[in-house]
Amino acid sequence: MSHPLVQSMWLIPLYTMLGAALSFFLFSGITRRTGPRPAGYLNIVMTLTAFIHSSIALIYAWDAPAVDFSVPWLNVASLDLSIPFHIDAAAITACVVITGLNLMAQVFAMGYLEMDWGWARFFSLMAFFEAGMNFLVLTDSLFFSYIALELLTLGTYLLVGLWFNQSLVVTGARDAFLTKRIGDLFLLMGVVALLPIAGTWNYTELAEWAKTADVDPTLMGLLGFALLFGPMGKCAQFPLHLWLDEAMEGPVPGTILRNAIVVQVGAWVVVKLQPVLSLSPPVRTATLVIGSITAVGGALIAIAQVDIKRNLSYPTSAYMGLVFIAVGTGHTQAALLLSVTHALGMALMVMSSSAVIWNSVTQDVTQLGGLWSRRPISGISLAIGAAGLVALPPFGGFWAILRLVEDLWASHSPLCFVVLAVNLFLSFSFTRLFCRVFLGQPGQMSERCPEVHWPMALPMVVTTGFMLHVPILLSVVGLLPDWLSLDKGIALVVIWSTLTGIGGAAAIYLGNFVQKPVRLPWPGLQDLFAYDFYTPQLYRNTVVLVVSLFSKLVNWFDQYLIDGIANFFGLATLVSGQSLKYSTSGQSQFYILTILLGLTVIGLWLSLPLLSNLSVIQP
Amino acid sequence: MQLQYFLLIAAALFCIGIYGLVTSRNAVRVLMSIELMLNAVNLNLVAFANYLDPQGIKGQVFTTFVIAIAAAEAAVGLAIVLSIYRNRDTIDMEQFNLLKW
Repeated sequence: MSHPLVQSMWLIPLYTMLGAALSFFLFSGITRRTGPRPAGYLNIVMTLTAFIHSSIALIYAWDAPAVDFSVPWLNVASLDLSIPFHIDAAAITACVVITGLNLMAQVFAMGYLEMDWGWARFFSLMAFFEAGMNFLVLTDSLFFSYIALELLTLGTYLLVGLWFNQSLVVTGARDAFLTKRIGDLFLLMGVVALLPIAGTWNYTELAEWAKTADVDPTLMGLLGFALLFGPMGKCAQFPLHLWLDEAMEGPVPGTILRNAIVVQVGAWVVVKLQPVLSLSPPVRTATLVIGSITAVGGALIAIAQVDIKRNLSYPTSAYMGLVFIAVGTGHTQAALLLSVTHALGMALMVMSSSAVIWNSVTQDVTQLGGLWSRRPISGISLAIGAAGLVALPPFGGFWAILRLVEDLWASHSPLCFVVLAVNLFLSFSFTRLFCRVFLGQPGQMSERCPEVHWPMALPMVVTTGFMLHVPILLSVVGLLPDWLSLDKGIALVVIWSTLTGIGGAAAIYLGNFVQKPVRLPWPGLQDLFAYDFYTPQLYRNTVVLVVSLFSKLVNWFDQYLIDGIANFFGLATLVSGQSLKYSTSGQSQFYILTILLGLTVIGLWLSLPLLSNLSVIQP
Repeated sequence: MQLQYFLLIAAALFCIGIYGLVTSRNAVRVLMSIELMLNAVNLNLVAFANYLDPQGIKGQVFTTFVIAIAAAEAAVGLAIVLSIYRNRDTIDMEQFNLLKW
C-alpha cells in the first residue's frame, strides 16, 4: 500500500485549477476596488501546495512501484474512456519540476508585473497551464495527453495574447495557436488511428503492444508521422518553429514557463510514444532529421539574433531538437535528462534576461552592455543557466549531453557531430549574449541600471542554487556515470566543443580585433540567420497562400454559384410574375378570346378519342 | 337535307359570331355578335329537335326560352353600354382597358 500522498497525486492539477477559478473573482472588471494582487498570492499559495505535496510524495514514491488507478470519465457503447493515472517516480519528478518552476515563475511575475493590472488574468492562465502540464505528466493515456495538449495550446494563445492591445502580440498569439493546433490535429489523427490498431491508448499497454506488434509498415509509417507531428509543433521543431519566436511577445514570466516547460510537454509525449514511433524506420529517420535540422538551425539562428528574448527562444528549439535526436535513437533516459537540465537552465536564463529587460527597457543586445559590475545576481544567473545548458562540467547539461553523445557514439556516430556542433554553437550564442549584455562598455540603454528587487532576485537565486545542485542530485539518484566507466575521450571532445564556442565568442566580443557590430563577410548569410531563414515569408508563400487562395475560391463559389442558384429561382419567379401580368390586358374582348380558346382546347382534348375514331372509320 | 348541314351552318354562324365578338370595336356590334351566336345555338336546337326528337320537340321549347332570355340579355347589355357611354362618351371597346395589370 503506497502512501496517501502518492495515492492523492491526482489532486495536483486540481489545486492550481482551483486557484485559476478563484482568480476569476479578482478580475479588474469584477473586483473594482482593491486591485488584482490577491490573485497572484492565491495562485502562489496553490502552486506551493502542489509543490510541497509532490515533493513529499516523491520521497515516498522513489523506490516504490508505480501506482495505477483510473477515474471513470465516459463509458459509451464499447468505448471506455476512463482517465488512467500512472504515478511513478518519473511522473512525480516531472510534477516537482513543473510546480517548482511555476512557483519560481509566479514569484518572479510578482515582481515583474508590479505595474500591471492584469494579475488575475495572468495568474489564472499560469495556473491553468500548470494544471494542464501536471495532468499531462500524471495521466497514462495518449488520449488524455492529447486533451491536455489542447488545453495548453489554448492556454498559450491566451497567455501570449495577454497584452492584446499590441498588434505584434495579436499576430504572435495567432501564429502560436494555429501552428500548435495544426500539430495537435495531426496528433489527433494519429491518436484516433492508433486505437483500432493497438486497441489501447495507455502508454504502458502501448509499450507492451509495440514489443510484439506486427503492423503494415506503410500504415505504421503514416501513423508514426501523425504522432510525431503533434510534438513537433509543441516542441517548436522545424518547420513549425516560428510560433516560439513570435510567442516572445508575451509577458516574460509566461515565457519562463513556455521555454522551460511547455515545450517539454511535447517531448514528454514523444518520450512516452517512443516504443510506438520506433516501430517504423522512416519515422525514426524523420525524427533524427527534424531534430538535427532544428538543433543546428536553431543554434545558428540564435547566434544571429539581436533581441535578447529571441536569443533564448531558438536555443529552446535547438535543445528540443537534441531531445528529438535522443528519442529517435531510442535513448529515452538521455532525453529526460536533457529535458530536466533544459527546464532549469532555460528558466534561469529567461529569468535573468527578463530581469535585465525590466530595468533596461530595451531588448536589443546591441544597446546593452557592461552590467556585470552593477548587476552581479542577474549576471551570475545567466552564466550558471548557460553553463547548465551546454556541456560544461560539472553542471547538469554536461552529463546530459555526455550521456547523449556516448549513447549515439555506438550506433549513430554521425549524429555525434551534430550534437557537438549544436553544443559549440549554443556555447557561442550564450557567451555572445553574456558578453553583449554583461561585459564590455555600457550601452546606451544600460548606463544607469540597478539590480532588480527581491521578488525577481529571489527565484533567480533559488533556481541558480538548484541548478548548481543538479549534478549532486544526479549522483544521488545514480544517474551519473561512475568515473571508471566514463569514456574520457568523448568527455574531452565534448568539453572541447564547449570551450571552443565560449572561447570563440569571448574572443570576438571582448577582444578588439573584430569590428562591432560584427558583420560576416557574406551579409546574405547573416541576414538569412537573423531573419530565421525567412520562415514567415516561407509560410506566407506556401501554406498560408494556398489556404487563403482556396478559401477565396470557395467563398467565391459559395457567394456566386451556390447563392446564385438559390437566388436565380427567386429572381425567375419575380421576372415571370412581372412579365406574365401582361396577360391581363384589360380588354374584355381579349378575355373572351381566352375563354373561347380554353374551351376549344378542352373540347378538342375531350373529343380526341372521338376524332381518332372518325379518322379510322372514314376510309 | 341532312342534320349535318344544319349543324355545320350553325357552327359557321357561331364562328362568325365569335369573330365579331372578339374583333369588333363597337360595343353594340359586340352585342350583335352575341345575338348571332345565340341564333347559331337556336339553329342547333331546332335541328336536333327536328331530326332526333320529332315527337317531344324539347329543342323547340329550349329555343323559345333562349330567344326570350336573349331578348332580356340584349336589353340589359344595351343598358350597360348606355351607362358606360354616359360616363366615357364613347362605345369603343379599345377604350375600356382600365382594369389591366
